[in-house]
Amino acid sequence: MVAQAFFVGVFGLAAIGFGVAVFRTASMVRSALALLFSQAAVGCMFLAMQAEFLGVLQIMMMATEMSIMAIFMVMFMMDPGGLGGMDMSHQKRFSIGAGAIAATTAISVALFSDWGPIFAEAPDAAMQTRELGFEMLDRSMLIFETAAITILTAMIAATAVAIPVRQPGVDTGKLDKENGDKEQEASK
Amino acid sequence: MTPVLILALLTGAILFGVGIYGALSQTNLVMIMMGVELILAGALVNLVAFWRFLHPEVYAGQMFVLVVMTVMAVEMAVGFGVAIARFRAKGSVEMEEAGDLQG
Repeated sequence: MVAQAFFVGVFGLAAIGFGVAVFRTASMVRSALALLFSQAAVGCMFLAMQAEFLGVLQIMMMATEMSIMAIFMVMFMMDPGGLGGMDMSHQKRFSIGAGAIAATTAISVALFSDWGPIFAEAPDAAMQTRELGFEMLDRSMLIFETAAITILTAMIAATAVAIPVRQPGVDTGKLDKENGDKEQEASK
Repeated sequence: MTPVLILALLTGAILFGVGIYGALSQTNLVMIMMGVELILAGALVNLVAFWRFLHPEVYAGQMFVLVVMTVMAVEMAVGFGVAIARFRAKGSVEMEEAGDLQG
């Protein structure tokens, strides 16, 4: 129990530290990497809490997600390396206040609630995975299927939103070139 | 009251607060999404801690974790779709310039 508390504490501190670093660095790539490390530390917390399947899943999912996020950062940010020292934040005092109030409220609930009896032992990893499989394909099947359909719908919706709108019979490449030519003429 | 449960809940609470700060203070869409990811990470930590220390025999607790992970994946997919569309239309994903999206 002491070793478990130690590792949960260490990985928790790492998750918080990297989480804070996400918003403190000027480099967007570093932000994405800090978020990756924060999520990986959360996954390690799951492992320390003996939820092996969820821990491995969290680390694998977040490594992929954050790698994609880093690519998007480089694509879309005006200053992805942070060399210009741009400040891309607003309403800082309000945000700090809201974050502090939210965290304080959650901490108060954690500290002052009676959580009831605590289980010292967790089922072993193989049993957990087996029972989770039965849970997913039995009582929680509707939830599981709904989650799958939601992801599929989101993928289709995101692709549909990202594809440029094409008018029938119009080549958007030509349209873009014409618009560019018009802008150039207007600027002259 | 086990200290491990409290440690995990404190971590979740602070991650939630940091995520709220990030989601509210950043002007870039991708950075706002990072804040939301941290909020959901805080929720995940709490869910796993509740399952492990309060009801390890009820596997619906782990299903909750899978549902929140689904929400994280969906948020990323839709967020990046919106980011691409916005960047194509306006050349920027700065939300301070997105007043036209106001309802």
